[in-house]
This record gives sequence, structure tokens and C-alpha cells, in this order.
Amino acid sequence: MQDSKSYMIRGEKLIKICKDAAFRINKYKVDEFEIFTASSVENEIEIFKGKIETLSFSDSIGIGIRIFNDKSIGYAYTTVLDEASIEDCIRKAVSNCKITEREDYNYLPREEEFTFKQKLIGDKLLFREDFLDYDIESKVTLAKRLETLTKSKDTRIVDIDNVTYNDSIYETAILNSAGFCDRYKTTTCFIYVNAISKQNGDTSTGDFFGCGRTPADLNLEEVAEKAARRSVSILGGRKIKSQRVDLLLDPVVSAQLLGIIAESLTADSVQKRKSLFEGKIGKKIFSIDVNIFDDGTIPDGLSSKPFDGEGVIKGKTCVFEDGYLKTYLYNTYTARKDKTLSTGNAVRASYRSTPEVGISNFYLEPSDIDFSQLMSDIDRGFYIIDIIGLHSGVNSISGQMSVGAKGIWIEKGNLEYPVKEVTIATDILSFCKSIKKVGNDLRFIPVGGYIGSPSLLVRDIMVSGK
Amino acid sequence: MIEDRLTKEILNTLLKNGADFSEIFVQRRVFNNLRLEDSKIENSSSGYELGCGLRLWVGDSTFYAYVDSLEKNKLLNAAKVLSSAINGSSSLKVLNLTETKSSYNTNIKKFPGKVHPGSKKNTLEAVDKSSRDFSPTIIQVTSALSDAEEEIYIANSYGAFSFEKMVKTFLAVNVVARKRKDVRTGYKSLARTSGYEAFDFKNPENLAREASKIAVDMLDAVNAPSGELPVVLGPAFGGVIFHEACGHGLEADAVMKNASVFKDKIGKKIASDAVTAVDDSTLKYRWGSYKFDDEGYPSSKTVLIKDGILQSYIYDLRTSKKLGAKQTGNGRRQSFRHVPVPRMSNTYIESRDEDSGSIIKSINKGIYAREFAGGQVDPATGDFVFGISEGYLIENGKISFPIKDATLIGNGPEILKRIEAVGNNLDFAPGFCGKSGQLISNEVGQPTIKIDKITIGGTRD
Repeated sequence: MQDSKSYMIRGEKLIKICKDAAFRINKYKVDEFEIFTASSVENEIEIFKGKIETLSFSDSIGIGIRIFNDKSIGYAYTTVLDEASIEDCIRKAVSNCKITEREDYNYLPREEEFTFKQKLIGDKLLFREDFLDYDIESKVTLAKRLETLTKSKDTRIVDIDNVTYNDSIYETAILNSAGFCDRYKTTTCFIYVNAISKQNGDTSTGDFFGCGRTPADLNLEEVAEKAARRSVSILGGRKIKSQRVDLLLDPVVSAQLLGIIAESLTADSVQKRKSLFEGKIGKKIFSIDVNIFDDGTIPDGLSSKPFDGEGVIKGKTCVFEDGYLKTYLYNTYTARKDKTLSTGNAVRASYRSTPEVGISNFYLEPSDIDFSQLMSDIDRGFYIIDIIGLHSGVNSISGQMSVGAKGIWIEKGNLEYPVKEVTIATDILSFCKSIKKVGNDLRFIPVGGYIGSPSLLVRDIMVSGK
Repeated sequence: MIEDRLTKEILNTLLKNGADFSEIFVQRRVFNNLRLEDSKIENSSSGYELGCGLRLWVGDSTFYAYVDSLEKNKLLNAAKVLSSAINGSSSLKVLNLTETKSSYNTNIKKFPGKVHPGSKKNTLEAVDKSSRDFSPTIIQVTSALSDAEEEIYIANSYGAFSFEKMVKTFLAVNVVARKRKDVRTGYKSLARTSGYEAFDFKNPENLAREASKIAVDMLDAVNAPSGELPVVLGPAFGGVIFHEACGHGLEADAVMKNASVFKDKIGKKIASDAVTAVDDSTLKYRWGSYKFDDEGYPSSKTVLIKDGILQSYIYDLRTSKKLGAKQTGNGRRQSFRHVPVPRMSNTYIESRDEDSGSIIKSINKGIYAREFAGGQVDPATGDFVFGISEGYLIENGKISFPIKDATLIGNGPEILKRIEAVGNNLDFAPGFCGKSGQLISNEVGQPTIKIDKITIGGTRD
């Protein structure tokens, strides 16, 4: 088995790779350049019926080079870092400049364009040394324990078709010709379980996950309990008549919908006229006093980092205050267009892509209302614990929303019977207006950033069934 | 791509501590992407990836590792590390490697590397112009053109090896139209496992106009109805219903794990008589086609359902061994960084003889759905959804008003039995499918079909 001490930390090596590439680029006549390197060492373990189904190790690295010439940008990347491949990568990036549009805003970030001046978070919080103490065997044991634990939660759970554990050590460095040169590293781990339950000929599934910086952050007991509950509570679910009702959204559901709203808050989507929030700065979008933040510096936020995908310092941006839209999210290019400063929201999915605008830790601030109070406020309604078809059912540009849902029917503040095979439909702006109460149970999901929301009480939404 | 001797050394190193099977998957890929938005080429990027995935089995367990390199030392070292994950001994040894043959052959005419970047730029500019010229209501057009040239070499401890060169070309157009406060979108894509002759198969400017037409037509959309109604699904991308309602549930890994509603249903009636469904990875140049699957098994045509009766699941090597069935050539992976799993290739419902016009005429009140935004399924329960992105009301046998986007929701086994009519106009559409964190290319297809009742998730009371 893999020895814990055998983890390779690249550290300064990434900076050296950047410097070597910079030295090569200097031979070309280009105005500016940026070198981005990233590496990750990952483990993934899948368990099925108490045995390892799949165990995979990976260690990958790549370099992405952005060349600025004559106010045009060219990009190329390679995962092979020998001299010839890097030379070829530079040549391609230089030649790709010839084809893209010239724009005055195309130049590297300058320090005076940063909203936030000081790094607020670093390796100390992002990279946990105790992560290295876990060897493969202990992670396998962890995953096996989650399988048994979930199964033991309810006699109606007949199969656990998926238990997946994965973790990674991620390291990245950026060097640019304007003088930026820095790096950071993170550790993360994630565990997932899906439970199949059966009763009286009906089948139901329920999944849940846990995530953190080290395996010690994973609360297996909670993951097992939630997955089991989500599975068995829908057993015997029925389709209801189509009608307008109040909805109570579980945080996992609210957070997914918040992620859709976030797509329309990037300055890029606004400037390209693809945002529902175009021209709405200073307008009241929510009917209650909702606060929404993008904060790249939360100590336990999985999307926290010292600087963004183009080396701009990360901070905390208030996007909605008391229900009013305060600002869009910016990288330097879009900020220059709007004559403002970058909010540090340049995001790079990997070395394969150029920096785009996106969220980091993006969340809706919780209130002090607990779940039972939200529930008691509903006369006839639908408590939604899971949605399906988010990507095929929501169009963030037109705002139309129609997704599959399952959950439990609420009558006079009490949970009555399970409901499935129905949809909920509205449009994004109406949805924002329909949110009437916010809970205190903030939870984050690690999907497309790190998005957090408490339970939400939403009034008068169309549910389609029979 | 690597020498026979080294291949054997790696396979044997993987076997030595008691493995039952070992495999090496080598891949080289060169990519180019061009994106146009706001009538400007805003991104031009290129990529180069080379690497090798190593796999071994012991009993029911799979062990996997990969290396971003083809250097001999790195490969052998990775093989040693991976084989040390198990402790036993094996007498298995690979002595000879024999090349696997495939009947799928291509003749690529315009290799991406030979197409001038300026001409790619011209294509996107023409797409942009055609889209915008369609209507003054169009406020944004995003188009992207990407191509890939790749080589894949696979060898395993059964002594088989395969080699394939593959070329892919992909063009997508996203259009946004606006009239007063209403904003609508239209999307069309063209994707072929071929070079730039893909544009002879379908003209990019026509594709652009089709995307624009959807966005513009939908500007007048009324609220979609809510509740159960008869639905007619148009040809080509309508096939996403079979992909979700049934296809994923037929993938043998779900069957093996007791997580499919179609388990123990071979030879049984699972769909109405009108349904014959096929997975075929040998359809020339289609988006889900290949010479070999990602385990080196030749591509093939598999009849999944014949006249409503289930014939076969969709297998990769591991599930075919485990369930004692013949491989179907559906072991697929996103790249050398991923473990192969059973996946669909080009999956479609075959034509019958009904005329699509008469299918619509048979409905008094219902929905005609023409384009879709994809879908999702839970294979264990069979519950699935898919989103309509271009739909119309049917009133008294005629197509009337366009409707706003709505999701259709149903249960696979129930819906398959409710397919009442199947038309004669089979067509295909390319797309991407995500499963186990891996995105792969495939096509769906069908003629016009009618479902007698399904829940439509509109907003109309």
C-alpha cells in the first residue's frame, strides 16, 4: 500500500517550471505573458458490498500559457513538460494571438486594479498537514465504514450502489510579466453515498455527501443518516394533482438553485446581454432582506484561495444587500469595461482554460429562524428534498425554470406523505421575489464553486403532477 | 505508440503480484478551440495531452493509475507502484500480442491540422452573420468550433492490442433573442468523428439559421400547461427520451449493482410493440462512433429492444465477464485519466411506418416537443426528466402556439409501454453525456414518436 510519506509536494518546483517557461518566452517578441501551472495528486476509492470496487491513483500536472501581443490574446496548454512540448506550446499561444480580436482591455492585471490589497488566506488554512497522515488503507476503511453505517440506518435499505471517497492535493502557481509570481496549495476530500431502499414494491434512492480539507472533517454519521433519511422518506411516494402551493426547500436544493442565479451575476454574462440582472444594479430583486456574498476567504470554504485565476487578491464581496443588487462579479477584463475594479472572480477550471468570471464561496446569509418554525408557517405545501434535471430544466438566460422534484407533502405545518414524479416551475426573477423566509441551517455544496444556502420558504409556486 | 517489448513488460509488471488482468491505455490528443461572441473572436486556444492509464483487476476489484508521459521509467515505476497495491503472486504472463481487427474504417479528408486557422475564423464569422441576419431581435450569438486529433493504443494481458486514429470536429451555436422583456435562446450543434468535411454533411450557416429560428419562434411562447397530456416527440434529439428513460438503465454496471429497474428483464416485454431500439457504434462518422471502444474491443451494433422485448444490456469488459455475456464494445472513458465503464454510443429507436403528420393529427389536446435541453435519470427507480427547449401546443390535431420551456417527468418502464406510435422519419442528433464524473460524446436518434400520457411541468393552472 501507498506509504503516507510518499506524497509528492511540488512546492517551489511549480515556480521553477513557470520561470523556465518565462525564460523561453522571452526569446519571442511578445508584449506580455502569463504562465499558469497546476498539479494534483488524487486518490479515488469506490466500495461495493464491503470490497474495493475501484481504487485509482493519479498525479497530473499541466501548464497553460497566455500570450498578449498587440492587445490580442492567444492561449495554449500542455500536460507534457519536456522542452520540445513547452516550446511548441509557446509557439501555438503566440500564433493563436494572430486570430483573436484586438481589444484595448487586453493586458495583464495591475495592482491598482485590485479591490482587495492584502492576502487574507493562505496555505496554513488551505493545506492541512494532517491530511498526509491518512494512508490508502485508512481511507478504504473510512469508505467501508460509511457503507455499513448507511445500511444500518434502516432495514428498508436494501443496497448501497455507490460509495465514493476521493481526495486531492492541489498546487498551483502563476507568474506573469507584470511582476506577479505566487503559489498556493490545498488539500480537499469528499465522500458520497447513495442508498437504495425498497418497501411494498416501491424503490427509492437517497444520496448525501461530506467534504472538507482532511478526512477528519468528514462526519460519516451525518452523511449516512441523511442519505438513509432521504432514501426511505420518499418510499411509497405518489404523484399529486397539479396546483399552486408553498414550497419549503432543503438547503441542498436551495443551494443548487442559488448556483443558477450566480451564473447571471458575472459581469461577463451582463456585458454580453445574457443576464437577467442586466441594468438592475441598485434594484430590489428579492422581496425580503436577503444578503448574498461571494467570499473567497472563508477559513473552511472549499473555494477559498489567496488569489484568483489571474493573480488578483481574493476578498469578500456583498452581491445582494437587504434584497438589493449591489454589484456584479468581475475579473480585470470585465472590470475595465465597466470602469471599476476586479472583485477577484477570475476562475480557471484548470490549466486547459483561460480565466473566465465565476464564483468562489457563494452563499445566502442565514437568519435565526429554525426549520420547524418555517414548517409551521405552511398551511398546504411541499417540502422538497431533492430536485432532478437542473441543467436541462433551467435556462439562466431566459430565466425559465422547470425541474423534477421529490419530497413530502405538508398539511397545517405537519409532514404528511411522500410525493414524487412532479415538477416545480416558475422563472428565476419571480422565484427570487417568492422567497418569503430564510432558515438558519446554512449548508454548502461543492458544485461549480462552493455554494451555500439555508432552507428557504417560497410562496405560491406551480407544482405539476396529475 | 510504445514498443511491444515495453508494453509486455508493463502488463507483466502489473500482473506479478496476483492480478487477474492488466491493461495499458495510451492516448495522444491535440486540440484546437475557437470561440466567437459579441461578433469577436475572443478565444483561440490549443492543447496537447499525452498519457497512459494502467489498470489491473484482482477478483472484483479494479486498480487504476495514470501517468502524464510515455517515458519508459515513469511507466514502469507507475506499474510497480500500482501492482504493489495488492499482495499475492501470479503465474499469468503475456508472451505475444495480437492486433484486434475492426470492420469500422474511416477515410478522413480534411484533417484539422491542415485547415488554416483563418478559414476556421471565417466559418465562425459566417455563422455569426447568418444568425444575426435572421432577425433584428437577435442580441447575442456565441459560437464555438473545436477539433481534436487523437491516437489511442490499448493492450491487455489477454494478449490483444488495438490502435486507432480519431478525428473529431464540433461546432455549436447559441443564440439569444429579445423582444421587450422576453428573452429566449436557441441552440444547435454539429458534431462528427471526422475532419472538416463535417461541414459538407451540414452547412454551418444553415445550422446558425436553425438556432436563430428556435430563439425567435419561442419569443411568442405562452405558458406551458401543467399535468398529464399526450406528447409527440420530434425526430433526432427527441431520442434523448430513450437515452434517459431506458438507455442508462441498460448499462450493465447499474444492472450488476442491483441499481437498475431493468434487472432480470432480458427476454421480457418492457416496451410497447412499436419499440425496437439499437445501440450502434459503427454508424459512419457519427459523434458516438469509433473503431474500437476504450478497452480495444471492436465497435458493433447491438439490438437492445426488439418489438418491445428486451434483448441485451450494454456491456464493457468487466460487466460482460461478471454477467457472463458477450461484450458489446461499449467500454468507454473520457480520457487516459479515467476507468472505463459501460456507456451508450449512438442509441436510437428504429423507424416504423407511421407518417409524422398523422401522428400529430391523432391528438386533440397535447404537446409537440421538437428540441430538448437534455435530461437526467435515476436508473435505480427509473424516474427521469428531460427539458423541452422548443415546444408547441397541439390543438385539434394541429400544431398551434409555441410554449415556454418545460420539463417532462416520468418513470422509464411506464413510459416505454406508453409509446403509442412510432413514425418513419428516423434522424440523429449529437450530444454529450455525463456519468461517473466522465463526459463522453454520443448521439441519440428516433423518428417522431407519440406517448399517450406524460407529466409536463408548465406554469399554467
